[in-house]
Formats: sequence, structure tokens, C-alpha cells
Amino acid sequence: MIKPPASLLPPTKVDARAALWWLGDSLGAIALAGGIALAVESHASNGHANALSLMLIITGGCFRAMSILRAGVAGQAAAQRLQAMLRRALHAPLLRSRTARGQLVGEDMHLAVDAVAHVEGLAATFLPLRMASSLSPLLVALAVAPASWVISLILLATLVPFILAMALAGGAAARQAAAQHQALSRLSGLFVDRLRALPMVLSFAAEERVTRHLGGAARDVARRTMAVLGIAFASSAILEFFAALSVALVAVYCGFSLLGLLPFPAPEHLTLPRAFYALALAHEFYLAMRRLAAAYHDKQQGEAAMAAMASQLATIAPPPESAALPHVWQGRDVVLTHGDGTKVGPLSWCWKGPGLHILSGPTGSGKSSLLLALIGHVAVGAGTISADGMPFVPGSLNGQIGWAGQSVALIPGTMRANLVPDPAQEKPMDAAVETMLGRLGLDAMLAARGGLDAMIDHRGSGLSGGERRRIGLARAFLSARPLLLLDEPTADLDEHTAREVRAALADMARTRMVIAASHDAALIAMASSVCEVAA
Amino acid sequence: MIALLREAVAGQKTTMRLGMACAVLAALSAVGLLALSGWFLVGAAIAGLAGPLAVSGFNYLLPSAAIRAAAITRTGTRYGERMLGHRAALFALAQLRMVLFGRVAAKALAGQAPGRSGAIANQLGKDVDALEDAVIRKVSRAGAWSAGVAGFLAALASGWRAGLVLIVALVLMRVAARTMAARLLPEPLDRAAAAHAALQADYTDMAGPSADIAIYGLAEEIAGALAREALAHDAARMELARAQGMITAVQTIIAITATALLAMVAQASPPIVALGLLGSMAALEGWSALAHTDMRGHDLARAQSHLASITDEAATPGPGEVMLALPPALTLCGQDIPPGSRVQLRGPSGAGKTRLIETLIGLRQDAPQSLAVAGLDPRRIGMAALRPAFALAAQDAPLMAGSVADNLLLARTGLDEDALSEALRVACVDDVVRALPDGLHQWLGGDGARLSGGQRRRIALARALLAGKPWLVLDEPSEGLDAATEARLRDSLAQWLARTGTGLLLITHRPAIADLADRAIDV
Repeated sequence: MIKPPASLLPPTKVDARAALWWLGDSLGAIALAGGIALAVESHASNGHANALSLMLIITGGCFRAMSILRAGVAGQAAAQRLQAMLRRALHAPLLRSRTARGQLVGEDMHLAVDAVAHVEGLAATFLPLRMASSLSPLLVALAVAPASWVISLILLATLVPFILAMALAGGAAARQAAAQHQALSRLSGLFVDRLRALPMVLSFAAEERVTRHLGGAARDVARRTMAVLGIAFASSAILEFFAALSVALVAVYCGFSLLGLLPFPAPEHLTLPRAFYALALAHEFYLAMRRLAAAYHDKQQGEAAMAAMASQLATIAPPPESAALPHVWQGRDVVLTHGDGTKVGPLSWCWKGPGLHILSGPTGSGKSSLLLALIGHVAVGAGTISADGMPFVPGSLNGQIGWAGQSVALIPGTMRANLVPDPAQEKPMDAAVETMLGRLGLDAMLAARGGLDAMIDHRGSGLSGGERRRIGLARAFLSARPLLLLDEPTADLDEHTAREVRAALADMARTRMVIAASHDAALIAMASSVCEVAA
Repeated sequence: MIALLREAVAGQKTTMRLGMACAVLAALSAVGLLALSGWFLVGAAIAGLAGPLAVSGFNYLLPSAAIRAAAITRTGTRYGERMLGHRAALFALAQLRMVLFGRVAAKALAGQAPGRSGAIANQLGKDVDALEDAVIRKVSRAGAWSAGVAGFLAALASGWRAGLVLIVALVLMRVAARTMAARLLPEPLDRAAAAHAALQADYTDMAGPSADIAIYGLAEEIAGALAREALAHDAARMELARAQGMITAVQTIIAITATALLAMVAQASPPIVALGLLGSMAALEGWSALAHTDMRGHDLARAQSHLASITDEAATPGPGEVMLALPPALTLCGQDIPPGSRVQLRGPSGAGKTRLIETLIGLRQDAPQSLAVAGLDPRRIGMAALRPAFALAAQDAPLMAGSVADNLLLARTGLDEDALSEALRVACVDDVVRALPDGLHQWLGGDGARLSGGQRRRIALARALLAGKPWLVLDEPSEGLDAATEARLRDSLAQWLARTGTGLLLITHRPAIADLADRAIDV
């Protein structure tokens, strides 16, 4: 069963409309059975089917056709409502916490896009069918009762051993599936894994060994899958058996009752149309459950996807409480630990008041990691960071930080919305924005695109990497936030623009605390402190 | 069916035949159960009305036994049909996966790799999965056809008109399913697939800078943009659900109209009419299962043509077999390097250092530098000739899903556990492996142990050491290592290189490990 933590994932509600349409199919079957019984009766009494019977057959059949169509569409609509809710519950929290959780973009994408797609069958088919399958046997039994209460009881009585047998088989199937789960999930991924690793396999001349190994693993998967399927099919066979048994029992009871040969006193007077009607419906008694059994794969896939979403959402830490802007921000012997176990440090620094502070060191030494640690996206493994002498909680200053990283997030919208995204902030005048862009050498780009109202998409189509980086810088500068964390602000810029950026940084550093990761010697020369991050 | 699948299925001939026999029996007993029940019931009613004499003349033992037999046969054979159909499909596809991998590898070796991205591997995996369904349906199709024949015979007992009605219905149902599936499904299927791919691409594009997103509160806006994009996907899926519902509904309507017509035109005794009515209803239900095959047709055709394009076209023979003299001397960027040298390749990020070594060992052919291996241009002689000369530990440390030992044993044949331990020791990762719950046999990747980038890189390094090739090629081997481990690794590698006389090509930004090289080349 699906039990996502209530606060993280929306509750999965069964769509009653789709279930009702599945019940509508049973109603159509009742009319159809009546029509067939009347047709046989009128053949027996006057040699041809009467108009009423034909009308019932056609009406009942068409109602069934429409019900199944509507059930599918209603189920799909319900699935899409659930998927929209899941996207709302997942996307924003995942987007803002990815580096903090140490997940790769591809892993998050798989969850946010593929896993959401995988719940479709569960919500569209399985859940409505499960609701319908618990009601439709009762509906059919109820419809049979006026014709023959005995048959109604016979049908209901077959449910008892059926439910017991299914419970036993279900338990065995779950145990078998659990026992094989690890081996299956490991082995079944090998084919794609080895294709992905093909260049490496070839470079070690291991293709023949890997091919043989793959063959063995694939046969092992087949054997193990058959072990799981064997039990799943056995429980389907139980279902089939009771479905066939109910038809056979009804046929034999009716036949002997009509012949007057019952080995016990006849509990009721049965006539041909009543008996035939009951027989035609006996076939429908287990139909919804047979459909439900066929949707078992949808259930498994959907529930696995929901569990993956819930467990990933559960790893998101709540944002810390905001702290006051520090005058002294200090780190002592700080060691940073990435999600994959890679370590950076130990690092020590002391940043005071407004001023320009540089983290320097070779590429790959972990300068960006320290900036990310300050906003709570990389874990601090050892050492202490303090703000004005008090322990600093990473992330607690995020509301006061203007950030420009090496990659810049753009949102689909106007240039203005991208440059001044903070809704809480008092918006700077367009003139101030344009001055800033001019200073960063972006005025030509802005003019070419048609000013601040120009739309850009999230891919930043037509923007060069350098322009994108400078838009990120402008965003940080234009935010009225008193702390600036900047990653390589002068990298990839021509000398003229780099000089302008340095001048702008010098201005900023008069009123704000600017912390920049850089190995630009000219920038380092301007700094009031330099923290060396060793490789 | 493509040749690859035909060959794989041929290996499961007996299972397939048994499965089909079960499918035929299951279909016949399903039709028989209902038809006999109807016939028995009406016959009993007429006899019951006609009086005690008729009752005593009515043979009720045989039909009631036949009804019970049909019920049991239907259960048993349907179980057999499912088990055997799945067995045939699973084992045929296991065989196919093996053969397919061999073919893809052979073509890649001849310079016709399907592409290097993981997406292509994923697509191939999905294509093979799609074939599985095709094999299972091939088995159950035998059942649908026998249901059709049985239904026709049951109807024919009520006169030629009834038989004709059923034949027409059977044909109409097939024509309707096939035309509707071909008309209604491909376009929304393609649209849904494209929308799904677009959503994946856009999520990947936007989710990268998550620090920006967190700091400036952009998450809600991006999520909003994604939600708007998802509408296109949802619309296509809805259209598909509607189209599939229409196909099923039309099957039901044709079947039901045929039943009504059959009741109208039937000319036989009432028990035979009942037999025809219930029998043909059960038969048409089995027959309509064929429509599900039609609905999968587009996906199946796409998977088959994709697999065929990868495997069926004749592999053009690669460059003629060249045997390099081992150990080979190298020429890198115009400089001659004798065997056993230790060379650092230098240059800023993006200068093409990785491309250069990948070209050198035959993984690609696009490095612009002047290169030679034993005097031959590596861009011309192909990977099969080059690979005896080089052992690569790549920057992204591609470990396979498997145990530590599985990964190490890839290096070459005939390695024992001592050799593996020794290589792990040289790569300074023996302590890490010993600390894993299952040691050398610890499963890596997926649900197995999650190693750090540095640890993975050193296991990949141990594998390259085990290969015993004249040139060891290392791409950023010490990235993500702390200074102490890096120094230990440098010393241990230096000893190993001196002991084995192996040459070294090294890409690194880090001065500590660069000490291993005795000369540097700027790329």
C-alpha cells in the first residue's frame, strides 16, 4: 500500500468516477445477460428472438463499450491530476536542494520526470479497478438474487475460499519477490550497464568474456523472473479456477434443478430465462478481479516510483533560521565533505566587515566547495565556522547573500525578471539596471535583444557562456544583499571587461562583504584577505 | 520479425510450441465451458418441462462432466500458456541480449560504435524489452485464433447465416483494430515520447545551478515553467488513452452487434442456439485480445527497426589487421617518446588532452595533433591494433555494475586473488576495499556500496595496472585525494613503474602527482 509521509507527498486518492464507470460495465453486463436469456427463452417458445431481447443485448453491449471507454479516460484524467500534484510537490524542493543532497542532475531528473510518468498506470488503471473489483461481484450477486437467490449465494460462497487462497498466494508472491528483488534489480541492469561501458570493455579486449558473462547473467535473470512469475501466475490460476468453477457450479445446479433431479429438496422454482440469465452473469462475477490481476505490473511500478519520491523528499533538510549579518565571519580547520566522500581542507579564514576577501588556489582545489558550504549545499565535516563569535549554521545567511556561481540559472521570462528575481526586494530603477549592464559590457547584448523587456528562455538561447556569467554577476550586484559570494567573477572575460568587473567589485567591497573564489592575480592584489585553498 | 529475434526464438521452439498448444486448449475450453453450459441448461429445461420420460431420456452425466472438465482444463492450460509463453520470451531475450552485445561490440571494434552516450544504451535496453512482449503475444495469438474458429463452429451449428454473421464479425474486428491502431496511435505516441524527452532535457538544463535557484528563490518559477511544459505531454497521453478506449469500444460494439444478429438469424433447436450464443460471445472476447497486439504495433515496429539498423547491416570490415611491435615508441605532438618514458600532458582545461589520449588508444579519431604509435597513425589502424599497447584509467573512472573483483578481472584473463590484492595495494585502495562489508566481492553501484570519486578512480587505476600493457595512461588519477594519500600514491606508482618498466602517459593539474613524469608535453 502507498503510505507517503503526509507532509511530503500528496495523498493518493482513488478516482471514484473511473471506478463508477467500471461498475457501469457490470451494469451493462446485467442488461446484456437479461437480453441473452430473453432471446433464448423466446427461441424456445416461438422459434425466434424477440425485439425486446435484441434491444437489451445491443443497449447493454453499447453501454459496456462506453463505460470502458469512459473508465479509461476518467482514470487517465485522475492520473494526470495526481501527476500534476506530484510535480508540484517534487519539482521546487528538488530544484533548490540538489547539491545539498549530493544528487546528480540526471538522478534528480529521473525522479522528477520518469518516476512521475511511472505512476500513470497505478492511478489510471489499478486503483479504480481495485475499488470497482470490491463492489462489482456484490453488484452482480445482487442482480442475480431476484432470479435465483440460491445462485447468488453460490457465487458469494465461492468468494470465501477464493479470498483465503489469494491471501496465501499473495503472501508467497511477496516473499518470493522480496527474495529475488536484489539479484533481479542488479542483474537486469547489466545489459544496459555493459553497453554503456563498451569503450572500456573494448579497450581491455574483454568483449568476449563480457558477452559470455552477460549471457549467463541474462539466463539467471530469466530463471529468477520465472520463479517470481510462477507464483504470480499461480494466483491468477486460482482466480481463473474460481471464475470457471462458478460458471460450472451454476450450470450444473441449474441443469439439475430444471430437470428436477437435485439430490436435495428444491429450495426455489427455477425457470429457463432465470437460469440462463444467472449463467450469463456468473461469467461476469470475477471479471473485474481478472482485470485487476492484469494491472498488477502498473501497481508495482507506480508504488516503487512513489516510494522513491518519498524517500528522496525525506532527505531534504528544512532551511535553518535566518541569522543576523555578521561583522566577523571566521573559519578554523574546516574540512568539507562532498556527498561522494571527497574531502576539501582543512581551511581557515577570517573575514571582517565590508571588504574583498579572496579564496585562491588551483582549479579543482575546492574553492567553489567552500562557497557552497557557506550556503549549506556542501557538508562541513570537521572544524568550526563562527559568525561574530557565535557558531554559524550554514544556510542561515542565505537571505542576505548575493550569489554568482560558475553556471547561471535563467528562468523563462524577461531579462528584467532574470536580473532582479527577488520578489521581496525593492526593485532598482531600470536606469540603475542599465548602468550596471553597461559597466559589465552587456549593453550591446541588451540593445540587440530589445531592452529589459526582451524575453529569454531557460537555455539562454543566443547568450554566450561569458554573457551568461555576467548576467549572473549583474544579478548578484543588483540584489541589495550585503554579502556577495562570487565564483571566479573575472574568469572567461576579456581584459577590458575584467578591469571593469574588478572596479565594480572594489566599489561593492566598500559597503558589502564580498567573498570571491579567484586565481586572478590582479584581483588578489586588491583583496583585504586571501585564504589559500591547497590542492 | 527481425533476423536477430527469429534466431533467438528458434532456440525456444519446443517451449513456444507447448505454450501455443496450451493457448489453443485454454481458448477452446473457455469457449467450450460457456457453450456447453448454455446447451446443457436449455436442454435440461426443455426436458424438465416435457415430463419425467424426457428427463430420464436426457443424458445429463456426460455434459455435466464435460462442463467440469472444461473448467479445470481452462484453469490449467491458461496457467501453462502464461508460464510457457513467458519462459520462451525470457530465455529467447536472454539469448538475444548476449548476441546483440556481441554484435554491437564487434561493430564498435570495427569503428562503427552506435554512439557513446548512456542514452543510446538505455534505448537499446528498452528496444529489447519491447520485443519480450512480442514473443509472449505470439504464443497467445494461437489462442485467439482457435477461439475464433471455435466460435465460428458454434455459430455454424445454428445455420449458415449465423456462421456468416460470425465470420463477418471476426473480419470486421480485425480490420477495425488494425486501421484504428495505425491511424490513431502513432501520432500521439510520438508526440508523447517527444514531450517526455523535452521535459527530461529541460529539467536537466534548468536543474544544474541549484545554488542560484536556492539563493534567488527561482525554484517555484522553474517548476511553473516545467508544469506548463508537462501539459503537452499530458495532452498527448490523454489522446492516447482516448484512442485506445475507442479501439476497445469498437471491438465490443462489433462483437455485441454480431451477438444480437446471431440471435436474430439463428435457425436451430433452442439448446443449439444457446450453445451458439454463449460460445460465440466467449470466442469474440478472446478474439478481441488481438487488438492489444495492434495497439503495441507501433512501438514494436520502432524497436525492431532500430535494432535491425544497429545489427543487420553488414559490418564493413575495419582497417586491416595490424600487429604493433610491442612495446611501441610514441610520437605525441611531434615529439618522439621511447618506450618506458614517463610523460605528463599539460595544457589548460578544454585544450583536448583527454581527446588526445582517447585518440591514441583508438576510442576516437579526432585529435588534431601529430600522433604515432610504433610509427603508425593511431587514427588509421583502429582500436583492435592499438589496445595491446595501452591500459587506460579514465578520468570519470567508469566502473561496471558488479563486484570489485568483477571490475578488476576485466583487465585480462588468468588473474588470481593475490594479483588483485597487489594491484589494489599499489593503487593505495587496498584498505578501502578491505573495509567494505564484502571486501573484494562487494557489489558496486546501484544499491551496492557508494564509493567516493577518488576511491573509484583508484580502483580503475588498479585495473589498469593489472592489464600489464606497455603504456599506463592515467587521466587525473589523484583528483579529490587529500595530500597525504596523493603522496603515498605517487611513491607507490613510482616504485611500480620502475619495477615493471611500464611507460606512463599522465594528465594532471596537480603538481604532487606530476612529479611522476620525467618530461612534459604541452597540448
